[in-house]
Amino acid sequence: MKDRSAFTFTRRGFLGTTVGGAAALAAGPTWAAGKTLNVLSHKVHQTVLGADADDLMAAWKSANDADISFTTFDSNPLQDRLFREASLTETDYGVGYIIDNRPTSEIASLFEPLNDLTVSDPIEDFDDIAHGLVQGMTVDGNLIGIPVRHATQGLFYNEALLEEAGISAPPTTLEELVEQCNKLTFTSKSGTPVTGMILASDLALFPVMFARAFGGDFITKDFQLVPDPAAMEKGLDVLRAMFESGALPRSYATTKNDDQVTWLQQGRAAFTVLPFARYAQLNNPEQSNFPGKIKAIAFPGSATLAADKPMASIVEAWAMVIPKNAKDKALAWAYIKEVSSKRVTLGMALNGNGPVRVSSYSDPALISKNPLAEVEAMVLANARGAFPPFPEAARAQATMLEEVQLAVIGRKSVKDAVASIIERVTPMMPA
Amino acid sequence: MKEEGKERLRSRSLAHLMPLIAPVHILILSVIVIPSIYVIWLSVTQSSFGKAPSFVGLENYIRVLTDPAFHRALWNTVGIVVVAVHLELAIGLLLALLFASGLPLRRYLLVAVLAPYAVSEVTAVVMWRFLFDPDAGPITQMLQSLHLPILDWSYEPTHAMILIAMLTIWLHLPFTFIILYAARLAIPLDLYEAARIDGATPLQAFRRVTLPLLGPAIVVALLFRYIFAFRIFSEVWLLTNGGPARTTEVVAVYLYQEAFSYNAFGTAAATAWIMVVVSLLLAVGYILLLGKQVNANAH
Repeated sequence: MKDRSAFTFTRRGFLGTTVGGAAALAAGPTWAAGKTLNVLSHKVHQTVLGADADDLMAAWKSANDADISFTTFDSNPLQDRLFREASLTETDYGVGYIIDNRPTSEIASLFEPLNDLTVSDPIEDFDDIAHGLVQGMTVDGNLIGIPVRHATQGLFYNEALLEEAGISAPPTTLEELVEQCNKLTFTSKSGTPVTGMILASDLALFPVMFARAFGGDFITKDFQLVPDPAAMEKGLDVLRAMFESGALPRSYATTKNDDQVTWLQQGRAAFTVLPFARYAQLNNPEQSNFPGKIKAIAFPGSATLAADKPMASIVEAWAMVIPKNAKDKALAWAYIKEVSSKRVTLGMALNGNGPVRVSSYSDPALISKNPLAEVEAMVLANARGAFPPFPEAARAQATMLEEVQLAVIGRKSVKDAVASIIERVTPMMPA
Repeated sequence: MKEEGKERLRSRSLAHLMPLIAPVHILILSVIVIPSIYVIWLSVTQSSFGKAPSFVGLENYIRVLTDPAFHRALWNTVGIVVVAVHLELAIGLLLALLFASGLPLRRYLLVAVLAPYAVSEVTAVVMWRFLFDPDAGPITQMLQSLHLPILDWSYEPTHAMILIAMLTIWLHLPFTFIILYAARLAIPLDLYEAARIDGATPLQAFRRVTLPLLGPAIVVALLFRYIFAFRIFSEVWLLTNGGPARTTEVVAVYLYQEAFSYNAFGTAAATAWIMVVVSLLLAVGYILLLGKQVNANAH
């Protein structure tokens, strides 16, 4: 009688299959393009490059016999993954997207300095890229990233709701904004309860904007912490008063960035602060109940703000970096050059990207498609980051937000909250 | 023939036998022992991206243990664990007894009770967040229309903790229920018959027959749930993000913030080890009880 099973799996067979399988995988699929550039980015960076017939990178792919493989994450997980990849001995990712408030000296040391490349294999009209954004990516004298996108914050409002409340024009000062927010905290004709303004509570940029409306700030570029505590107190006083009057929703402390978009689209809020690039999404007829009625202006400063000190909105910039441990840096640089070209920058701008080239704003196609191009360019001229990069920046931001939340929802006096911000963040500041 | 085989096996040296059990050892070493040692090493160093680790001794442990945010997160975690796990056990036990007593449409009801275990945590949280939305949630509106108090979880930390506890009970009830239900079904019916003949009331039968025989299953369910509940993360992270103002933060969220928001790997690793120790301390009573039961069964 046979004592062997019909299905036998010998050691030789097992080893043979393993080696064969590994060899097949190593050989790679033969149907793909000759090379693949792996890119770590946010989904928006991939979307603005277009797809299929509208793929802005189609010619580049064909010329370089290369395909682009995107791995996308939300902002914070993206930064974490990028730094983790760049900390390995070697990474498959050739290009990563970095936010301008992240590159400290330590982080910058993980990425390829690009100064020499911009000379030996230059980007088309490099001087056209906003100098402030380029400076933001220069750490210890090394240019580590090429700016690709900026998100400049503007004040969005629902024109239909303003008209319904008998308001003929959007506010020109912060005081008017508060007044309109209070007036717009009502039940609309459609029966929807409307709140004057919706703001996410987990992002530093909102309290910083309100502090700047009075000439204050959180951390300046030269690392001064709360340079004008009285201005910060005034900004937080406004937010607290709005919360108490219901002009900020009771769910303020758990409101997230996505809620701002949906509340405005659904007519549940009259005002919000978002990047100008959100204009198309907010007015998208498939998502919004008010297509064409959601407009934007510059966030207004207080009437008490000195005339010679314009309101500085917040701008967040993204740049493309090459990890030092990347395998194919030449292909990565070729990609960066193409994405930074005038043609692709304009194409991305038409797809909703904040263009980093000054010339893009004067392009007739962009002006006709994006009615906010002019106001965005004007706001961008005075805008700066919420805070500069330093090793404990994320912890400092979280500490500030904790105190701001306590003050806004009335668990702590505004004065005490500002004093706590200064006391708790001071040890985190760079020496 | 069999004896010969055993003899041959005995005569083989340890070196010959080692390869047979090596895969298990390699697996345990690679997924538990080595990572644990690495985390211990990380916990006594200070490191971040682009910064080489430097030895700091127990500084990270001191920093975490003296951080008021950690104290608050620890108390929140212990509170949720103690309340949610015991409530879940009570509800699970009640349901198990109800099902065992014979319910109409038992199969369908069983599916309904077990369904939350098939729902991903993220989906469940999004669903609950929608239902209990303080402004437009259907449950909030229903409570308001009935002039009942609502769960103001986005503003009141205690309300947020109640919602988190309710959510975690709903999500994990099937685990506790299925253990207790299986154990209850395994109790021979003749024991209840004997109790009835001896004149025991239903309550006495529960106290003298059901509860003692369900004891081992209850301890196992509690032990596992204590350990799982101590790691509670997604319910809090997705519902409140630890807010308002970090008042609903739990230890796992604290750890996540240290590791992935602040990139402070040393303090994150120290927090992880503190979590292990505290969850073991919380569960130690049940572990001893389990040990006693195992020994008693062995004899």
